[in-house]
Amino acid sequence: MITKHITEVTTRFNPFTKPSKTCRVFLAHLPANARTTMKINTTVLNRDSQEPSFLALKFNVLVEDGKEMQLDTEKLNINDVVEEVDRHSRVLNRQADLAGN
Amino acid sequence: MAPRLRICPQCHHFLKHQPVAYKYLTTASAITPAAPPIQMTSSPPPIARYPRNQPPSHKPPEFRKSQLHRQYTSLLRSTPLLLLFQHNNLKATEWMSIRRELHSALEKVDHDLSTNLAPAIKIQAIQAGIFESALLVAEHYHPEHHRPASKPHPTDPSTQSSASLANTTRNPADPSLTHYLSRTAHDAAAPFKKHHPLRPLLSGPLATITFPTVTPQHMRAALSILAPKAPTFAAPTRRANPGYYDASVQHGLQKLMLLGARVEGRVFDREGARWVGGIEGGMEGLRGLLVRVLGEVGAGVTGALEGMGRSLWVTVEGRRGMLEEEEKKRGGEES
Repeated sequence: MITKHITEVTTRFNPFTKPSKTCRVFLAHLPANARTTMKINTTVLNRDSQEPSFLALKFNVLVEDGKEMQLDTEKLNINDVVEEVDRHSRVLNRQADLAGN
Repeated sequence: MAPRLRICPQCHHFLKHQPVAYKYLTTASAITPAAPPIQMTSSPPPIARYPRNQPPSHKPPEFRKSQLHRQYTSLLRSTPLLLLFQHNNLKATEWMSIRRELHSALEKVDHDLSTNLAPAIKIQAIQAGIFESALLVAEHYHPEHHRPASKPHPTDPSTQSSASLANTTRNPADPSLTHYLSRTAHDAAAPFKKHHPLRPLLSGPLATITFPTVTPQHMRAALSILAPKAPTFAAPTRRANPGYYDASVQHGLQKLMLLGARVEGRVFDREGARWVGGIEGGMEGLRGLLVRVLGEVGAGVTGALEGMGRSLWVTVEGRRGMLEEEEKKRGGEES
């Protein structure tokens, strides 16, 4: 997964539900130094909580207009999320290349 | 007749008290000693096709997976208290420094309580899938409920060769095998595969911290290091423990996430784990609390039961007093 354009990750999940796996595995996909390059807000809900899990990402402001991405992790699995993020990150990669950075 | 074999004069006194040996010595060339009577009546036991400590298992035992399964089963059976964490790409140095901080915090608790549990409390990364399978086996498979191993055992020297034996061959389907890697264990745990309450947690990179007994004090120390939350689980202050504020520790802790706990077979979430860790005074405190509550209940019950009798007694006494007073008055008037 291309993570270098992500600036903020906000996620909330109840680990005792099945869809939370997507959020947890997404957090595990972030590199070891992710906490220094991006802001990560994680909320772990209680077991009896009925709130749906969600994952929100913000992308680099400098290259593009700071796109915010809301991912419905109740429906998407981790492969879908990675695909979405990579699709946008590749666009940002190309723009950065064209800008000569 | 003189001895046919020459015996050196120095050895002669050894033979003096052993006339039989002396006699054999004389005729040694002629007689082959007979087999001992035990071998005449029974032949050696049948050969088992496997060593006694390596019985056939459901999955090949030489695989790392099988050995991990065995290790996790034994871990789960021996630990009543287990905390489950997710670790997101921790580096080796971060693991090392977190372990160091955890160990020093636990040793401090050990010192206060004069126990020796710190060396037995460990944080280790686990393989989620194998751990799940081991969890099912540890909870749902009880070897004592299954058919005991067929007797006589083939590697037992007292077994006779004529005895019919079940497990002389390497057949993992043999129901007499009841160890934790056996097919019996696998079949006993298989129906519960999708129903364990801890199952949704068991995916992704996981680490467990295991305690050999239920000790809320140690658990509180571990939680205040690994998942601090004021006020009960406040992290150590910078002055008390400067090592805790090292960059490697803090970066590691940001990536470590408490998911849940398993206490004596029951599954708790984060808050439940903190509740268990927050029990004042540990198990002793809990027992004291229970005794106090039960004592209060007892006092209440005796009070309630006594109440009726006491009020009756008070009424009757009052009535008697009234009657006595009346009698006294009447006696005074008559006199």
